[in-house]
Amino acid sequence: MQWSVIFKKELLENWRNFKWIWVPIVFIIFGIMDPITTYYMPKIINTVGGLPEGAEITIPQPPPEQALLMSINEYGTIGVLIIVLITMGLIAGELKSGVSELVLSRPVTYTNYITAKWASTVLLILASFIIGMFFSWYYVNLLFGDLSLSQLFGAIFIYGFWMIFVVTITVFVNTLFKVPGLVGFVSILIVILIHMVTSIFGRFLAYSPANLSSYVSAYVHTGEMTADMWSSIFVAIVGIALLLLLSINILKNREI
Amino acid sequence: MLEALMQINWALLAPLIVIQVILMIVAIIDLVRIEKTNGPKWLWAIIIIFVNVLGPILYFILGRRQ
Repeated sequence: MQWSVIFKKELLENWRNFKWIWVPIVFIIFGIMDPITTYYMPKIINTVGGLPEGAEITIPQPPPEQALLMSINEYGTIGVLIIVLITMGLIAGELKSGVSELVLSRPVTYTNYITAKWASTVLLILASFIIGMFFSWYYVNLLFGDLSLSQLFGAIFIYGFWMIFVVTITVFVNTLFKVPGLVGFVSILIVILIHMVTSIFGRFLAYSPANLSSYVSAYVHTGEMTADMWSSIFVAIVGIALLLLLSINILKNREI
Repeated sequence: MLEALMQINWALLAPLIVIQVILMIVAIIDLVRIEKTNGPKWLWAIIIIFVNVLGPILYFILGRRQ
């Protein structure tokens, strides 16, 4: 009962400050921007490029799989940035302003407090990500050729775990620092570090969650889930659970 | 140039333009209703209206006081 109260309060707050409108819109825009610009690039160059008379540029159009991956790439950079910016004040902001003291002075357990806040953010991000992917898929089908629903669902399923993982990292860093800006900076740093370590020690870290984006690419092209993909997803889930447990413990032992 | 404009398939671009306008309108509504922003309100109004896509996003992330 307690949990659902905090969860509903968070959802209501996200609705009141329009997050449920602008976050999905941002994901839609960044999802379809790349396919559309790529599609129109030859026309844009021909009309405003100032090419000499008679010069023709042929830019090969990417296959539909490649076009869908453009959206995934956008979500890997700008999407991650948006996630961190949204989540960086989630708990840190309340610790700073003292709202959490009010909330936690009532009989609310730390576990409920953190998981409810985490779940409301995950719901917002996942919904936006899925809506964005559907728009992207629609445009890719229209502009570049057929792409099956199963390819779309596979991409959403695999990359969704990375999105949740990034939210969880930011929630975890929220319990370490009180200043939202610092939380955002450190979270981004951690994400970049995970990417770097994974690419340096790639051979030994096939299970790293940072590989999920390349596994999306592999799945969209081959349509097969390999053992590496499942282990990567498994590691992501374990990482999410561990980070949540750690955040709860840190907040518990901390002087608020 | 006009000919080039006619060639564009507007059915493709219309949704993109519509959601950009929605984003802008929502930001403006919020700006009018909100009591205080980080920085002057009129500046945010200009940014929201004239900076395409990024303006409203910047407002929602940085302009709203938590």
